[in-house]
Amino acid sequence: MTMTPGLRKFALTVHLTFSVGWIGAVVAYLALVFTAITRQDAQTLRTAWIAMEWTGWFAIVPLALASLLTGLVMSLGTKWGLFRHYWVLVSLVLTTVATAVLLQHMQTVTFFAGVARETTLSSADIDGLRGGLRGELLHAGVGLLVLLVIQVMNVYKPVGMTPYGWRKQHEQRMARATETTR
Amino acid sequence: MSQTHSEPDRGSVPPPTPRWVKVFGIIVIVLVLLIGIMIVTGVGGEHGPGRHAPPTLPTELSTQQP
Repeated sequence: MTMTPGLRKFALTVHLTFSVGWIGAVVAYLALVFTAITRQDAQTLRTAWIAMEWTGWFAIVPLALASLLTGLVMSLGTKWGLFRHYWVLVSLVLTTVATAVLLQHMQTVTFFAGVARETTLSSADIDGLRGGLRGELLHAGVGLLVLLVIQVMNVYKPVGMTPYGWRKQHEQRMARATETTR
Repeated sequence: MSQTHSEPDRGSVPPPTPRWVKVFGIIVIVLVLLIGIMIVTGVGGEHGPGRHAPPTLPTELSTQQP
């Protein structure tokens, strides 16, 4: 199931767009977190949490799912395969874990954004919203690091074939050798 | 995935696991263990919104969070 060169280039463009867009959306999210941490006023804090929820659900989550999906298409539609090379396998695992953690963590963000939307907030609520930002810094920061690792791996493609990939390659070579000797 | 490079031919013997995969695996195992220990021992505190929310919000947390 190998794609034609034209289709492969188009699929690669789409995959890169979603993947790099995911990184950009996380950077934008971190900018909101930093703004909320450094500014002391409650209004900025509330607005930041609501903006973080929207950025998460309407930018980061769709881009993450699209990146994962197009990555699967790229792997299965090219000679790289999904389980043949370590860099593809590691990228797949990291992307899947990052997406799962993101979807789980967005529940927390939605909760805090809900608190931020309340008309009147006590000082304890404000403290809660402010305390929640530490978790955002951690999750988004580690998430960005993971995405950058995936990005570097996808560009450099470190050499290394899995036992499954090696077996497949060996079988293909044997089949070709058999054909030429006939 | 646009560039290509060929794997070195090692005959009929499967290639050994690359060093970068081993190092990467060790780092991941250490991180997973650390996170696991933090969760089990409670050193990192409760995970989720309850970790940072003040004690005045327990009712909301228990009713709104699955």
